[in-house]
Order: sequence, then C-alpha cells, then structure tokens
Amino acid sequence: MKVTFKIWRQDKPQAKGAFKEYQVDELTEDMSFLEALDHLNERLVLRGEKVIAYEYDCREGICGQCGVFINGRAHGPHPNITTCQLHMRSFKDGDTIVVEPWRANAFPIVKDLIVDRSAFDRIIEQGAYISAKTGTAPEANAILIGKAIADRAMDAAACIGCGACVATCKNSSAALFTAAKINHLNSLPQGKPEAHQRVLDMTAQMEREGFGHCSFTGACEVECPAGISIANIAEMNARQGKAQLLG
Amino acid sequence: MKVNTLFFRKSIVAATGLFLCLFLIVHLSANCLLLLPEQAARGMYNAYSTWLRENPLIKVVAYALYLSIIVHVVYALLVTIRNRKAKPVSYAVNHTEANSSWASQNMGLIGLSILIFIVIHLANFWARIKLGLGADVGVDAAGNKDVYEVTYALFHNIYFVLFYSLLMIPLGLHLHHGLKSAFKTLGFYHKRGLEVLARISLIYAAVIAAGFGIIPFVVYFK
Repeated sequence: MKVTFKIWRQDKPQAKGAFKEYQVDELTEDMSFLEALDHLNERLVLRGEKVIAYEYDCREGICGQCGVFINGRAHGPHPNITTCQLHMRSFKDGDTIVVEPWRANAFPIVKDLIVDRSAFDRIIEQGAYISAKTGTAPEANAILIGKAIADRAMDAAACIGCGACVATCKNSSAALFTAAKINHLNSLPQGKPEAHQRVLDMTAQMEREGFGHCSFTGACEVECPAGISIANIAEMNARQGKAQLLG
Repeated sequence: MKVNTLFFRKSIVAATGLFLCLFLIVHLSANCLLLLPEQAARGMYNAYSTWLRENPLIKVVAYALYLSIIVHVVYALLVTIRNRKAKPVSYAVNHTEANSSWASQNMGLIGLSILIFIVIHLANFWARIKLGLGADVGVDAAGNKDVYEVTYALFHNIYFVLFYSLLMIPLGLHLHHGLKSAFKTLGFYHKRGLEVLARISLIYAAVIAAGFGIIPFVVYFK
C-alpha cells in the first residue's frame, strides 16, 4: 500500500517547525504504524536526508514512549491504544496521514515528533512512592487488602505515563495522569501514612508545571491506552479538598 | 495553607454554577404562571413579583445571585486564560468529536452567548422594574406593578420571542455539561452515582431549556 505522510519537522526546541510531505510505498497492512515510520526513515537514509525523530521503546503497548498525534487523534484513530499498537490496516491505500507531536506548554518539543515529558517525572518525584525501609521483601499477606480496593488501585496503577491525556486535552491538563498516580497509592494501606502530603505535593507540582484546568470533556479517558477512568479525577478532587482541610 | 489554583478556581466556578442551577429551577417554576389563562396569569404573576421585591430574605438571595453570576464569569475567564496558556499551539488536525461532546469543548463560547443573553434579559426586565429605567411600568387592578404587561408586550415582538427561545439552546448545552462536571469538580466520584448524575444532568438541562424556550411562544400566541 501507498500513503502520504504529512509530518511535523522541527530541528531543535527553539526552531520554527513545519509540516513536510513524504510519499511512501511498499507498505503492508500488517505493518505497525512505527514500522511504517521506520520504513520511511530507511528511504530517507538512502536518499541522504535527515531521518524523522520519534520515540519508542517496547513496541508492545507498555512503555508509553511512542505517543504522537495521528490524523487528529492521540495514538491514531482507535480509542485506548498506543501508537505501536496501531497498524497500517487502519488506513486506506492513498490516504494522507498527518503526524504531529504532542502539543502542550508543559511538553516542549525536543525534535520533530519528540517532546520532553519530564514534567511528569517531576510530579512523580513529589510523592508517587511510599517511604519504606528497604531490605527483604515483606510477606505478601502481612497486609490484607480487600479485592475491591486492590482492583481500584490496580486500575489506577495501569497508567503508563504516555502523555496522551495531556495531548488530547484542550487545556493540556495533567489531571488524569496525576489522579491515577495519587489514587493508586492513596487507596492502599501502604499509601495512607503520607496520603495528604502526597496529594498536596503532587498537585502543587502539576500546577507549577503549567498544565491547564480539567474541564471534564472526557477526551483523556477515550485516548488513554490504559483506559484510566475520568472518575479518578473526581476522586483526586475529593482527596485534594480533604488534604487541604486536614493535611 | 497554600491554595492550589487548579482546584480552587474550578471549585468556585462549580459552586457558583450549582447555585445558579438551583436559581433556574425557582425561576422556571415561577414563569410557569405565565402559562395560565390571561386574567389568572396577570394577577398571580404580578402578586408573586411584588412578594419577591418586598421579601427581605429574597433581597439577600438576590445579592448572592448577582455575586454568583459575576464570580462565575470572572473565574471562568481566569480558568480559560490559564488553559489557553497551557496549550499555546493547536493541532493542524484535531478530531475532538471522536472523544468528547461539542459542548464540553466549547463551554467558554457557550457561556459568552448566555452572558449576552443575561445582559439583554436584565435590560428588558430588571432595569425597568427594579431600577425604573426606560418606559414606566403600569399598575394592575390589585395595585401591583404590572410585570405581566412588560412580559406580554416584549413577547409580542417576534424577534424577542425568537431571541429568548433560541438562546435556550446554548443554555441547555451549558447546563448539561456544567451540572455533572460541577459535581465531579467538587469531588463526587461514586461510580454508579456518576451514571445517575449524567442522566439527571440531561433531564435537568432539557426541562430547563425547553421550559424557558416554550414560554415566549405561549405568551406570543395568547
């Protein structure tokens, strides 16, 4: 199959970027989207042109590195997947596919399709951990946790930090990401001792990083590869209010 | 205690929004008097509005109402400014319709149309009846200010009828997204409760918009 890629090219953070069109043939429907970009880059190398910079790592939907905006959707036309899980069979022969980097003030462009998502790391550093003495792992059943709570914590913990929620949000809000990290730990007994401080510190960092407000459009939960529910944001709001009053 | 603006501002918008939602229920209930036959409607509507104007408790509520509208608008503006800064560059292609409702993406724009409506609505009624600006308001047989006549005259102008009715569409859209979102902003996250809340928001928005939208036509055809 043959498609036209219209891809954002930008040399460095401060450079003025622009779209550039590339016609690519000899693609097959079973290629993943990243393999199609690899294929294009191989052609660019042969022609002596600069390759397109994009991020990836695991290529199996776990690492959260491969986020790009494809034809007006985070990670392409299907809900709840990563870019590496998108295949060329989702497009038609002759299609033009527009590929853009995540757009957010808090995610500055590094080069082409790569953005700097270290704002997420700094939110994590503020409290997405528990303070515990290291050493031998404790006995797994020493702390009993009900299944309902374990399930909810696990659902929140599924966040892979890809940034699709920020990318698709009209306000570039990091509410879904931060909520997932907070609810994961605060719903478990291990997270309770530092619960209030965790909420206050992580949300304060979210504010400092320049993310926008949450408007509850619901776009984030549709594009989230881990299917994190937007109800997590409401839960974070409740925890934030409680921490403000008690913390 | 340091306040986090991301939460504080939205909470203010949500709380004032919910108060305005309550007000709309009372406002629409009273306006249903206009659906009665001419004589009964005039007497009861004028008596009710006199009672409103003279009740000291209503005076307090009225000031809370003015304040809520102003604070709701100002804080929504602050929220919008930060949101714009957070996303300075838009996508060349963005299919928001695939992941969210149009209303949820355009609450600011919809809100602006409602604000314009409120200004005109206040000029039509509040300015004349409470501030005494513009043409004098007459008195009915019972000695009450003839607010019914003001309404009746206004809604015998087809342009005002259309304006008042059509502007209830953005109001309905705003309420549908706003009511359920306000609860979530204030921390309501019960899973089944959120499903019920979504249904209540739809019914509430539909009843308020349809109710206010129909009344001008009913008066027009009286």
